[in-house]
Amino acid sequence: MELTDNVLEIRDLVKDFPSVRAVNRVSFDIKRNTVHCLVGENGAGKSTLIKILTGASARSSGSILLNGEAYTPHSTRDAKQHGISTLFQELNVVDQLTVEENLTLGMEDTTLGFLRKTDKINTMVNVMNSLEPSITPRQLVSTLSVAKKQIVEIAKAVATESDIIIMDEPTAAISESEIKRLFAIIKSLREKNVTVIYISHRLDEIFELGDYVTVMRDGKHIDTRPVSEIKDRSELVKMMIGKTVFEQYTPKEGECKDAILQVRNLSNHKLRDISFEVHEGEIIGFYGLVGAGKTELARAIYGVDPYEGEILFRGKKLPPFPDKVIAAGIALVPEERRSQGLFTILTIRGNVPVMNMRKISHNGFINAGQERKVTLDYIDKLRISTSSTEKEASKLSGGNQQKVVLAKCLFADADLLMLDEPTRGIDVGAKSEIYGIIRQLSKEGKSIMIFSSELPEVVNICDTIYLLYDGRMKATLRNGCDIDSEKILHIVTGGNVTSGDRGE
Amino acid sequence: METRLERKKMIGGRMSNESFITLFMIGVLVVLFGVSCAIVPRFYLPQNMINLLTNNWYIIMLGIGVTFLLITGNFDMSVGGVIAMTGVLSVWFCQDATASQNALAVGLGLPYGVAIALALLCAMGIGAINAFFIARLKVPSIIITLGTMMIARGVAQIVAQGAQRNTSLPDVFGVLGGLTIPGMSIKLSVLVMAILVVAAFVFEKKTVAGRRTYLIGANSVAARLSGVNVRRHLTSLFIISSLLAGITGILLSSEFKAGGSSRAMGYEFDALVISLLGGVSIAGGFGSVLGMFVGAVILSVVTSAATGLLLSPDWQFTIKGVVTFIAILAQRFALDKRKG
Repeated sequence: MELTDNVLEIRDLVKDFPSVRAVNRVSFDIKRNTVHCLVGENGAGKSTLIKILTGASARSSGSILLNGEAYTPHSTRDAKQHGISTLFQELNVVDQLTVEENLTLGMEDTTLGFLRKTDKINTMVNVMNSLEPSITPRQLVSTLSVAKKQIVEIAKAVATESDIIIMDEPTAAISESEIKRLFAIIKSLREKNVTVIYISHRLDEIFELGDYVTVMRDGKHIDTRPVSEIKDRSELVKMMIGKTVFEQYTPKEGECKDAILQVRNLSNHKLRDISFEVHEGEIIGFYGLVGAGKTELARAIYGVDPYEGEILFRGKKLPPFPDKVIAAGIALVPEERRSQGLFTILTIRGNVPVMNMRKISHNGFINAGQERKVTLDYIDKLRISTSSTEKEASKLSGGNQQKVVLAKCLFADADLLMLDEPTRGIDVGAKSEIYGIIRQLSKEGKSIMIFSSELPEVVNICDTIYLLYDGRMKATLRNGCDIDSEKILHIVTGGNVTSGDRGE
Repeated sequence: METRLERKKMIGGRMSNESFITLFMIGVLVVLFGVSCAIVPRFYLPQNMINLLTNNWYIIMLGIGVTFLLITGNFDMSVGGVIAMTGVLSVWFCQDATASQNALAVGLGLPYGVAIALALLCAMGIGAINAFFIARLKVPSIIITLGTMMIARGVAQIVAQGAQRNTSLPDVFGVLGGLTIPGMSIKLSVLVMAILVVAAFVFEKKTVAGRRTYLIGANSVAARLSGVNVRRHLTSLFIISSLLAGITGILLSSEFKAGGSSRAMGYEFDALVISLLGGVSIAGGFGSVLGMFVGAVILSVVTSAATGLLLSPDWQFTIKGVVTFIAILAQRFALDKRKG
């Protein structure tokens, strides 16, 4: 059979979720034996697209042609059999086995249940040697670095004759020199008849590595072009953000109030030397892409992760325990609503008062009447749509669940609220309601820190925006009419900061 | 006016799933009891009913701690061993210290009160070991408490030399276990159990600490981020569970005027079974002490009906197993149906 020029043809692909269309009539081609980069902001629809390609998720409509034939994977295993392998951020190797055993895992030849040595192993090992001679087959995988584990996975994909290898941010967790080595290997894959779909937030990598680039935004396909035709990163950034409409933000009247939180030289496994201050009534935004260190910063302040440096709240050192931090007057809405914020099997009444049980109890005994009253108050105040206080939290919609988590934190009577991705995965209506609540809180004199990977979010409501990249504070911006979203994206994707961006 | 009405409606609504399961199991109990009354002679006599409620008192005592730990998502398999250990130690501590020919008749000669206090401290020590590994080092509870189960029983075996200690005890030793409430045939031990069940019920439904138990079981990460000191709470619960087992051990050894190393063999499983019969979820976050109590009575009805029908005691395990199996399946089915 004559192979077509395109290894993959995507036509009118749609993926609908209950409240949002994550992939919206996307069509583009991927040329055979190229490195094809996929870029877009968080929420642009990249991961959903990849999930459909790898069989982890089913499409709502549209078609995919693989080597000219209709392709509908039912599982990741099915996708693999069709020649599409994926290198996830969570690597798929077994640490306790040797390299050789990992390569043949799931494909062992056996006689009566006993393992048999065959040529297959030799082929595998040869492929691996050609990619990276320094890895020996008998080595335990646990002794390898992350980068070398990736190479083992790539070797396995190549040796099993994958046509396409999808790589999801492979450089997120490896060092500079290892990145160089990985890139050399990726480039060499083209000669081995492999097409690479490469996803990264680091735009420089795309220019170094890519043959083609596809830009997605808000679930839509924006453009697919040879990388050589793109002038520079700012052109790419423009394609990524389009014309973002920044409405609503009205600057605060000028006076600078007292600092409530002071962070000095904060460092830990992810963060590098971060310093800043939060003032009373101020809304502060921390913006950066996935892996920039936003969540880690919130967790350090909240006393969950260890750190070096100094965190002062109202001039006193914060003890590194969440219960003490809450008692001091700080509350956190965590990043993962269902696994970190909500007690899904409990009722709304079981959720709302938990961060401040003192307020609804006397000498350790709960006042049931007060508990119900408080729950009803917050259902009213945040307009949580439910038929009863006794409804299980798991049965609420995403937006209402988030409101319950928010209610929990508001009930804590905190003076400083930290909101990590406060509107992730909720619909537009609930989103703007939550923004309204945040503004109201700020008017009441509460300080708010928002950790977000959505630019419109921080630009719409924050007074001051800190840009994070790779665990470092890259720039500080005062919000106002002169905010430049292109420059922001330039910085958070690893671009250089010009002198004017720093400072207050 | 209207909003007030609205608010009232919001508060009402359906009963909680816990209440539903407890009611469901009470229904099962009533049916089982009716059937037993119909086919087993003299089953309906008041004295028999009292026996049904009380003759499992030691399992119910254990069930309290086991239930709360299950609600947090943890097992406590050490409770049977702790009974044996506490019983043997309480005997040994207050046996006469003067030399005797028989090594099993020689103890430390401590006053009875001191002996009990020390034995209970040792019981709490087992709880503290459990807590240290489970709450602090995050080792799965099933592993650790199986280990301490054997350690506790091992201590009992060493001290009782694989047999039992029952000689040269002060007279006061048998008092606690032998006391009955004047005018009734109810033992002090049963009264202690009843008081503890009521206290546990209040703890579960009315206190902040009781609520925290559910929060930890429902989502321990969220509990920590919501300001619950998960480690401290689990530690308290493990120590309380061991303390309850210790008290049970003291009462049992007093009743028998002896401390035997094979006492309470398998009780940890019975305690687990009655909790599960009462609807406690091993996934955590769900269950109630009242349900556990109902579960205990169901088990008691079934075993005594079987005895009343002159089935050989050899059948007891099989019958217990079958009943547990059916009851728990029925429960899950009912709950799924309700959740729709």
